[in-house]
Amino acid sequence: MSVKEKLKQVLIEDLNLEDVEPDEITDDMALFGEGLGLDSLDAVELVIIVQKHFGVEIKDMVESRPIFESINTLAAYIEANQP
Amino acid sequence: MRMAIQGVGVTGGFGCGVDALTSALHRGEPIVGEVDGVPAYQAAIEGLGDFVPKRALRRIDHFSKMTLFGAFMALKDTGLSDVDRSRMGVVIATGYGTLQTTFKFLDSYLDFGYACSSPTHFSNSVHNAAAAHVSMQMQATAPSLTVTQFEMSVSSALLSAQQWLAEGRVDQVLFGAVDESCEVLRYCRKEFFGDGEQGPLRPANFSEQSAIAGEGAAFFVLAAETQPAAYGYIDEVILGNHATCPVKLPISDELIVGADGHQACGQWYQEALKGREFAAYAPFYGSFPAAAGFDLAVAAVSLRDQTLYTSPGADAGGRLLPRKLDQQGLTCLKFGGGGEYGLIRCSS
Repeated sequence: MSVKEKLKQVLIEDLNLEDVEPDEITDDMALFGEGLGLDSLDAVELVIIVQKHFGVEIKDMVESRPIFESINTLAAYIEANQP
Repeated sequence: MRMAIQGVGVTGGFGCGVDALTSALHRGEPIVGEVDGVPAYQAAIEGLGDFVPKRALRRIDHFSKMTLFGAFMALKDTGLSDVDRSRMGVVIATGYGTLQTTFKFLDSYLDFGYACSSPTHFSNSVHNAAAAHVSMQMQATAPSLTVTQFEMSVSSALLSAQQWLAEGRVDQVLFGAVDESCEVLRYCRKEFFGDGEQGPLRPANFSEQSAIAGEGAAFFVLAAETQPAAYGYIDEVILGNHATCPVKLPISDELIVGADGHQACGQWYQEALKGREFAAYAPFYGSFPAAAGFDLAVAAVSLRDQTLYTSPGADAGGRLLPRKLDQQGLTCLKFGGGGEYGLIRCSS
């Protein structure tokens, strides 16, 4: 399974997005606000999800804003920083 | 001060809603499901989507979902769904609290360290979280409180509800008794009780372990005695310890006992009842501390119908044929393992 596919799967499971299917999340869809509709509480969960499932730490929430833009940006960051 | 029972909402092993409970009482047969090959009672929450949008529930755990479902059903039962709830308090009684979430949070802490502990799990594991969810979803902005006193949680919490109404702090109290089951609890019970958890649940057999884990939420809309009551009144709530000051059972009341197959509590029922006839309904919803709230729900339905229903399961001593209440009172009695008791007297 690719990083993007796994990301979509764990987002749905860990954030309890019961009404969303993985293929409904497009790679360039905005994760926050319009798009997937995540909010600031989800951002904190997202940091934990990335660390727990991919072993990649995101230390600075401000610097992480571009990383959290979409599945594309998040997957790219994970692939670049995976141990 | 007496409290009027204006509405009831329940979800448990028998189904959800007062009609499901009434049907179970009419059938009089024990109901039990199964989880992981072991007998267990589970509460349904599928109907919650009728009251709260699905997306709003995604950060709310199973315990709070049962709580919300019971609360919304009780409110609907009163016909008060659209009224101002700024003077409605929320009181919840639970023996275990949010077991599933608490263990999930601890698991994530142990497995991945504190940095990977979910903040959502943490916030749901806070003791008053379920009551807060009810207050927020219902805009019930009067005080909210969660009381835990293990087997005595329901009686203890009812005293708080009674106090709020007596003080005039609130006009109504949305009162709920909630407990949930989980894998860890079932494991512990199996370790402690072994085959005693295999069923059938025999509440009137006080000398043997036959408890089966249950879960659910039983809610009541309570108001001061001057208000109309659809299900009768709670006249008196007494907490005590039979070991130090023996319980005095009302002579003329019919008795509903919270005996649920726990051997440790059985001896106290045997001693207090002294051969007196009683009804017990644990085979409808299982064994858990807040089940005393379900006994109260059965009492409420019995007062509404002026009928004392048959105890489910035909084991020695506890079976009664359904019979008319003839304006008699109903007393619910719940014992803990140390002889502590909660006694709730109800009447029409």
